[in-house]
Amino acid sequence: MSGIVVVGLFDAVDPAAAAARALRALPLPEGDITTLSPMALPDGAVCRDPRGIGFPKVTLAGWFVGALAGLALALGTYLLYPLITGGKAIVSVPPTLIITYEVAMLGALAGTVIAGFREMGLCRFRTRLIHDPRIQEGKILLCARVSGDEQAERAMDAMRTAGGVDVRPEEGAL
Amino acid sequence: MNGSDHLTRTDTGALYRELSRSNLPPTGRWYAVAGLLLLVTLWGVGCFVYMMKTGMGVTGLNRPVMWGSLIASFVFWIGLSHSGTLISAILRITNATWRAPILRGAEAMTAFALMVGGLFPLIHIGRNWRFYYMIPYPNSRQLWPNLRSPLMWDAVAINTYLLGSLTFLYFGMIPDLAIARDHATGWRKKFYTVLALGFRGSHNEWRRYHVASTIFAILIIPVAVSVHSIVGWDFAMAKVPGWHSTIFAPYFVTGAIFSGLAGVVLVMAALRKVYRLENALTTVQFENLGKLLCTMSLLWGYFYFAEFLTVWYNRNPEEWEVYRSYGGHFLPLWLSMVVCNFVVPFPLLCMRRVRRSIPALCFVSFLVIVGMYAERFLIVVTSLARRNDPFIWHNYFPSWVEFSILAGALAMFLLLYTIFAKLFPIMAVSDIQERLFQATDRKIGEANVESIAMPHDTGKGGHG
Repeated sequence: MSGIVVVGLFDAVDPAAAAARALRALPLPEGDITTLSPMALPDGAVCRDPRGIGFPKVTLAGWFVGALAGLALALGTYLLYPLITGGKAIVSVPPTLIITYEVAMLGALAGTVIAGFREMGLCRFRTRLIHDPRIQEGKILLCARVSGDEQAERAMDAMRTAGGVDVRPEEGAL
Repeated sequence: MNGSDHLTRTDTGALYRELSRSNLPPTGRWYAVAGLLLLVTLWGVGCFVYMMKTGMGVTGLNRPVMWGSLIASFVFWIGLSHSGTLISAILRITNATWRAPILRGAEAMTAFALMVGGLFPLIHIGRNWRFYYMIPYPNSRQLWPNLRSPLMWDAVAINTYLLGSLTFLYFGMIPDLAIARDHATGWRKKFYTVLALGFRGSHNEWRRYHVASTIFAILIIPVAVSVHSIVGWDFAMAKVPGWHSTIFAPYFVTGAIFSGLAGVVLVMAALRKVYRLENALTTVQFENLGKLLCTMSLLWGYFYFAEFLTVWYNRNPEEWEVYRSYGGHFLPLWLSMVVCNFVVPFPLLCMRRVRRSIPALCFVSFLVIVGMYAERFLIVVTSLARRNDPFIWHNYFPSWVEFSILAGALAMFLLLYTIFAKLFPIMAVSDIQERLFQATDRKIGEANVESIAMPHDTGKGGHG
């Protein structure tokens, strides 16, 4: 997803939103415009995220994998060591449910972490990513992926017109 | 804006500097405190090694009281760990606007209390070097983890909760680690760069971060409830008078949340004082925690009365003897429990003046901690001390070795917290920033009121 990205710094949400509107009118696809901000902005405030969020399905899958692992752990232990303790049946249902539940929840948590990191695009240490630490001073970095110099020029004009500063092309992934 | 008027969205750098005072280079005083805590921890470790080498005879444990202060401390610390993650998760899901300043401190409390609490069964088992018998592994010696034993449920549940809580703590910290990375220099910059995992605050990252946080919060709540239910079942599954009760699981969960809330109040007050966080941790947070504490005090009183009434009316001789001992040898402990958990906290916390006074709230929270420890001790010890056969009744008092281990555990908890506060953002800066961003002052008639924007996620295909 790397290529030429035009970026511009904005002091507030409203000028950034105006610039994003102008970029969409160029036209640039919704998925090629994003912001870097020190806090979450509501979806649609400046740009929209057209991609669906798929990792809750992985959470569910993690739950089922965990449940199977828990069940296997409990049943496997009973069957490997078929010793009667406390007058309980070799395969006892309530303890099996408890172990299955705990390991299932662990699986769901692990699924959420792994899929969450993946969908958020974290851990890309070798990829050059667009970033500007000045967002931590309260600024918003508007980024637009463009194809070609002409589109880049028009995008930079749109950002400058809306009040963007330090508008420049950069190379890297969004 | 509740005392935080000057923390505005456009001054994010100042906000970070104010909230990250704990990350400043350590002073001589910090080294002195950390050194003292380390010494006490080492003393506790030394006493544990002495106990391990000499045998359990150096403790006050004797038949029939084979579970004493170490198991009571295990229950207490696991209980203390409850409110951090649980409260944080509940507040996240309900989108409570006052939550942001207490999230991180509470979540860290959970992680460290669990680490400390989880050590106690290992300390208690006597032949400590054989702890790995609990881990399922193939062997030819007929050693197997008995998954029909509640103690094994405990091992599985506590490990799940510990891993979940650590993940919850770390995941919630990622945006703040990114902020710290962008402000830091030297080795800290490298440290935060690795831990922030390349988080930059893109729209895509924020949206997914919020969904993942919500899912985490939803998942961690039933895990937290199950952990203390299982700790309750450790006792309730045994046919010991005073333990064998169906009410134990919810009663333990209630007690855990109660003591955990008191712990959160004390930790927050300490952070506020030490790192001068008065603008972030305002009376609003403390008053709301006070309200929750008041509710839990009432709930605890209700559960205890329900349990007591059943035994009192039934007068099953074996169970009644346990309760009778509360009026004898264990009277000071029983009085501490009732007075510190209900008689004093409930009426005091009903008063707004007390809830809004941080010293008063800390006093009540301290009482609750004392009362809850007394409750754990009574549950564990009394039932064994007055078990079935009067000829074997025996009173128990912890030895100096046990007291040393308990002091070492407390010091270890404080030391871990102190180091954590020095290395990591102790305040959820991005959450506070987001809340300030969403808040505006609005005029209704002649009154100025704070108004919070609650954005809907209108993403085309996404969850939100």
